[in-house]
Amino acid sequence: MTIENVLLVSGALFAIGAYGVVSRRSLVTVIMSLELMFNGVVIAAVAFSRFTPAAALLNGDPLTAEAIRSALTGHAFAIFVTAVAAGEAALAFALVFAMYRASESVEITDAAEMKN
Amino acid sequence: MMEVSSLTTFAFWLASAMTLGLAVVVVTQKDVFRAAIALAGSFLGVGILYFILSAEFVGVVQILVYVGAISVLMAFAVMFIQDIASGSRPSQGRVIGATAAALIFAALAFTAYNTEWSSIDDITDPVAVAAMTEGYVEVGTGDYALISGEAPTDSNEVVSENRGVLVDSTSALGVMLIREYMLAFEIIGLLLVAALIGGLLLMRNPPSSSKTEKGDASA
Repeated sequence: MTIENVLLVSGALFAIGAYGVVSRRSLVTVIMSLELMFNGVVIAAVAFSRFTPAAALLNGDPLTAEAIRSALTGHAFAIFVTAVAAGEAALAFALVFAMYRASESVEITDAAEMKN
Repeated sequence: MMEVSSLTTFAFWLASAMTLGLAVVVVTQKDVFRAAIALAGSFLGVGILYFILSAEFVGVVQILVYVGAISVLMAFAVMFIQDIASGSRPSQGRVIGATAAALIFAALAFTAYNTEWSSIDDITDPVAVAAMTEGYVEVGTGDYALISGEAPTDSNEVVSENRGVLVDSTSALGVMLIREYMLAFEIIGLLLVAALIGGLLLMRNPPSSSKTEKGDASA
């Protein structure tokens, strides 16, 4: 398990999600694929936090608690991305329901034709 | 180079296979409900990956938020939308999508393997290593308290696998969120409230009843 392997998994998950977003017609599946892409990005952030040193720990300054904590920047990033993804999923499904109520369909091609 | 035990490596590849395999099921499965179940499994695999990467708190959040909340939301969505039974049909963009995904993956893999990543072993300050892997002492309190720590006497024993990895990451992360990232933390709270209110607003019964009647007539 090296950083290259973890980034490979992260990139693969992102690519699978990207394929799902483009290749599916149902909006529900598209949102699922979007969540997969979010997860791929967060894996990369956590991997960098795990395998690469924080800059504040390398510059030779007297060590502070803040410098030690900066080794966890990737984790903080992961928490924020997760929160945004959760809000996005809730809002996206509300939109899908609104669309379903208006046109009895959840397909992207129908959404493109919905002008009202 | 950092040494990682073969058991950890095996667990990593197992969790990766679970994550990626179920992700492929999500994007290829025609039955949307099965895709939702596979998605929950894929999220669980990502959570296991976080634990293997010594990010315990992120792993717990992943399981609570993704496996516990978002997957249930997906399942509800599938059950609410009736004509989902017709399945998730592929769109015309399938070939373009596959090509684009392959190119994205190739670019990311090329970057990952051709970049000279700085290694966690570059942390040479013995106090820093001690502070990360052992208990450490904060001299004074506040944001910029100095760290003092004795380098472990048998340093070879401590290091190898966990070198440069903060042992007590959860409490440090909690302190970090309310000190260094206070503003972002508050904004995220505001964002979630806004998303909640926006979702409720969209899901309200439509104000004009004529629109729904039209929808019913066409159904």
